[in-house]
Amino acid sequence: MATATLPASSAKGTPMTKEEKKVIFASSLGTVFEWYDFYLYGTLAVIIGKQFFSALDPNSQVIFSLLAFAAGFIVRPFGALVFGRLGDMIGRKYTFLVTILIMGLSTFIVGILPTYSAIGVAAPIILIGLRLLQGLALGGEYGGAATYVAEHAPHGKRGAFTSWIQTTATLGLFLSLIVILGTRTAIGEEAFADWGWRIPFLVSIFLLAISVWIRLSMNESPAFKKMKEEGKTSKAPLTESFGQWKNLKIVILALVGLTMGQAVVWYTGQFYALFFLTGPLKVDGATANILIAVALLIGTPFFILFGSLSDKIGRKPIIMAGCLIAALTYFPLFRALTEAANPDLAKAQAASSVTVVADPKECSFQFNPTGVAKFTSSCDIAKQVLAANSVSYENVAGTGPAKIKIGDKEIESYSSKGLPADEAKAKDAAFKKATIDELRAHGYPAKADPAKMNKPMIIAILTLLVIYVTMVYGPIAAMLVEMFPTRIRYTSMSLPYHIGNGWFGGLLPATGLAIVAQTGNMYNGLWYPIIFATITFVVGMLFVKETKDVDIYAKD
Amino acid sequence: MWKIVVGFLVFAALAMWLLSKGGDVDISGEKHGIDVAPHAASSASNP
Repeated sequence: MATATLPASSAKGTPMTKEEKKVIFASSLGTVFEWYDFYLYGTLAVIIGKQFFSALDPNSQVIFSLLAFAAGFIVRPFGALVFGRLGDMIGRKYTFLVTILIMGLSTFIVGILPTYSAIGVAAPIILIGLRLLQGLALGGEYGGAATYVAEHAPHGKRGAFTSWIQTTATLGLFLSLIVILGTRTAIGEEAFADWGWRIPFLVSIFLLAISVWIRLSMNESPAFKKMKEEGKTSKAPLTESFGQWKNLKIVILALVGLTMGQAVVWYTGQFYALFFLTGPLKVDGATANILIAVALLIGTPFFILFGSLSDKIGRKPIIMAGCLIAALTYFPLFRALTEAANPDLAKAQAASSVTVVADPKECSFQFNPTGVAKFTSSCDIAKQVLAANSVSYENVAGTGPAKIKIGDKEIESYSSKGLPADEAKAKDAAFKKATIDELRAHGYPAKADPAKMNKPMIIAILTLLVIYVTMVYGPIAAMLVEMFPTRIRYTSMSLPYHIGNGWFGGLLPATGLAIVAQTGNMYNGLWYPIIFATITFVVGMLFVKETKDVDIYAKD
Repeated sequence: MWKIVVGFLVFAALAMWLLSKGGDVDISGEKHGIDVAPHAASSASNP
């Protein structure tokens, strides 16, 4: 095994060495894997649900839903603690190797796992177990990659080096598309739903083999190696990171002043924009996917651009500018997106007034991140139907069952609470038909008309949203690494990253939807990223210090 | 660097071509629950 270490102080202008390229490649491969999984579990969710969960009784489905939710929201930050601690105690290289092994094997095993029809309830239990395990490993992956690359990077190039890691989100998406769509095209829709969905999971073994092989040939990071040789490694990284105020306050600042805003800008630019196109704007899925993919293709090089720029002008001005510009421009940009993607909808919204008259006590805040909650009151049902049809409406207090007023027409909603399933279904169909017929009569389109779409404008807006993402995300890994000393770096940076991205980013879609349904305005979901990006901007500007010139060895 | 750029473009072009052939797939990332039936999927992802 090679033992050479990289010079940590290469001159700024020198090109990347072969060894440095290998470090970035090895680290990025793990995060490609992470993203590949992220998209697999999204794209194949319906098939997996059918194969593993649909035969379960409703109560068990709720439990499994909660466990799947926990895999993303609780286990990942916990994994950040577990593997962060290991990384700070035994080294980046081996921890990093363990995380990718667990992550890769968990993904691969899904590909050979018998379904519910073969082994009964053991199938969903094992599947959820694998997802929990994978979530745990994933919690340690990003922090490891960022730390490892940054500790190998020459001073003055950490932003440029670590920004490569961020491009893997796009690579993971494209890879998943190539494998999934390639398989589906090759074997046909039916065979794919039956057994072909396993192939994308099985293919991950190649990615794992390459990753492990490369990582085995890598050296320990120079910073950790030096610290270990001097006997200065932390004996209790968790206590040091979170039990001492001087470190804890930096962890909190990293979360509130950096990753929280970065996460919501990222989720808005990629996922909320996609949802907005296919949901409220009713653009067909295939077209929306291509528009997003083109925007990602154009925007992805900006990760490197802003990462490199952050080595020159600083991380903080770029990240803060990204948060501020995003917060200031989301409303006009998403309105422009409506005009470009579905001008008929924009016209209908401007022309007709819709009101929901309901008893306020009947109306819930429809926050449903796990998908298990049921909203059955007449107010909630009325608002769901309007929101699903992209109708902006006013709320007026009333009594009795909720009513929707569209122009002069009044449609009474219903409560499905306690109704037999058949009756609830019939009422649902009748209410939806009456409402939708009236909406169509007032010019609300069923679908976005492809002939009326201004595609260059849509791509320009989406690309701008992706560029915001690259501003906040490109320099973030370098900045997080530079905020903490080597002895607790892995632990300290992993937790705010996963809480920021997992909680603040991950809850964006569900919270956005609930705000839209509550307020009756399809743009109001944007308040969620705007508020958090603004908080990050204010806290970041006031309390987060610039780190680009920090000597990461200074406090060792 | 040019090799990376060309590789990325080829990779992206292939993904885009496959998307254009039959790209109505969900690329919104992993779900924070379980999809058990079409109606459940739509209620989780639509407003």
